[in-house]
Amino acid sequence: MYQTKKTFIKPDMKMSDLILENPSLLLMMEHFDINIVVGDKRVEQICSENLINPQVFVSIANLYNGFHPAGNENFDKTDTKSIIFFLKNSHRYYLNEKVPEINDDIQKLYTENNSPEIRLVERFFNEYSQEVKEHLGYEDEIAFPYFNSLAGDSNQPVPKRTRYSAGKYLKHHTDIETKVGDLKKLLLKHIPLKNDRFLRRKLLLGLFELESDLNIHSAIEESILIPLIKKIEKQQSVG
Amino acid sequence: MDKCRVNIAIIEPSSIICEGLSNILLQAEGVHYSLYYFDSLEEIAQEMPTGKIDLVIINPSVVKNDIKIFTSCRNARNSMAWVGILYSFFERETLELFDALIQITDSPDVISATIHRLMSLNCHGKHAEPKEQLTPRETDVLKHLVHGLSNKEIADQLNVSIHTVISHRKNIAHKTGIKSQAGLTIYAISNKFIDIEDYQG
Repeated sequence: MYQTKKTFIKPDMKMSDLILENPSLLLMMEHFDINIVVGDKRVEQICSENLINPQVFVSIANLYNGFHPAGNENFDKTDTKSIIFFLKNSHRYYLNEKVPEINDDIQKLYTENNSPEIRLVERFFNEYSQEVKEHLGYEDEIAFPYFNSLAGDSNQPVPKRTRYSAGKYLKHHTDIETKVGDLKKLLLKHIPLKNDRFLRRKLLLGLFELESDLNIHSAIEESILIPLIKKIEKQQSVG
Repeated sequence: MDKCRVNIAIIEPSSIICEGLSNILLQAEGVHYSLYYFDSLEEIAQEMPTGKIDLVIINPSVVKNDIKIFTSCRNARNSMAWVGILYSFFERETLELFDALIQITDSPDVISATIHRLMSLNCHGKHAEPKEQLTPRETDVLKHLVHGLSNKEIADQLNVSIHTVISHRKNIAHKTGIKSQAGLTIYAISNKFIDIEDYQG
C-alpha cells in the first residue's frame, strides 16, 4: 500500500528536502492549510508558525512516507482541533476536487469507449461518491462536533453519546476502500480497451491518488484520532 | 483451496535476527508458516520423531558446534530441509551442509521463494500461478448473484446448501479480487458471463 523506503521524518529536518523526496507531502501541507512555499524552514519552525504540535505533524507526515504511528505518541486534548481541521480539509479535497475529477474522466472515457461496461462504471462511481459523501457528512456533522466538544470546545453542548459509534465509523471505511479497489482492478484487468488508452491511464492514476489519500485518512482516524478520543473519554469519566 | 502450511523450526541466537526473520515469514502471502523456536540441535533431535517440523532455519555456527548431532538429525529424516541463515563468514564445507541459504540481505520475496522451492509448494501466493478461472459452478453462482438473488435463492435455484453458495462466493471474491456486487456485475459483463441485455439491475 505505501512505499516504505522514504525518510522517517523528524522535527529538525528541512521541509523542502522532504517534499522533494515525496511530493504527496504537498497535499498533506494543504490539508493543514500551510503555505507550501517553505523556503529553508525546518519542520518544527513550520509547526510553531502554524500552531500545530510538531508531534501531530510528524506522525501524519510519516504516514505519507509509509510509517505507521508507533502508538506511544502522547497526544493531548488540545491536539484534537488540529487533527480534525486536517481531516475536514481532506474531506473538501475528496468532495470538491478528486471525486469530480474522476467523474469527469469517466464521462470523457465514455465518449471514447461507449461500451456497456463503462456505463456501469459510471453508475458504480456515482453510487460510490454518494457513499463517500454520506460517510464524510457523518464525520463532519456527528463525529467531529462530538470530538470537538469533548476536547473542550465548551461553546458547543456535548451531543448525545449514542449518536456516534466507533464501530460504524470503521465499517464505513472498509466499504469505501473496497470499492475503489474493485474499480481499479476492473479497469486494469477486465474492461477491454478501445480508444481510451490515455484516459484510462489518467483515470487509474486518479483512483490511485484518491485511494492513497483515503487510506492515510483512515489511518489517521484509526491510529491517532480514535485512540486520542478514547483517552479523553477515559480522563473525563475519571475526573 | 488448501491453505499451505509449513512448520518451521528456528535456531538463531540473535534475537534481533530471530524477530526480524519471524516477522518476514509471518507476513508472507498465501502461505501459513507456523514457527517454533529452539535453543539447540538437541531439542530439535527430540522433536524430530513427531514429524511435525518441515524445515529448519539455523545459524551455521550452531551446526558447527554440534556437527555430530546435526549429521544424525540429517540422516534420521531426509525429508526435512535445512536452511542456513547467513550474516557472517563460514567455510565452504560448513555451508555445503545446507539445502539452501538465506542471506541477511535477502528480500522477503527471495526468502519466501527459497522456502517454496524447498517445500515445492504450490500455494496461491504471489509466486504461484494465478488461478483466476472460475469453475462452471462458480460462474452459475456469479450469474445469479449479479441478478440480485440472495444466497438462499441461489441455493434453491442450484439445489445446493446455503453453505455451498457462501463458499462459492468466497472463492469468486478470492479469485477475481473483486468484492462488491456492483463490481462483480461489471466483471461478469466484461468476461461475457452475462449479456448486458439480460441485465436489468
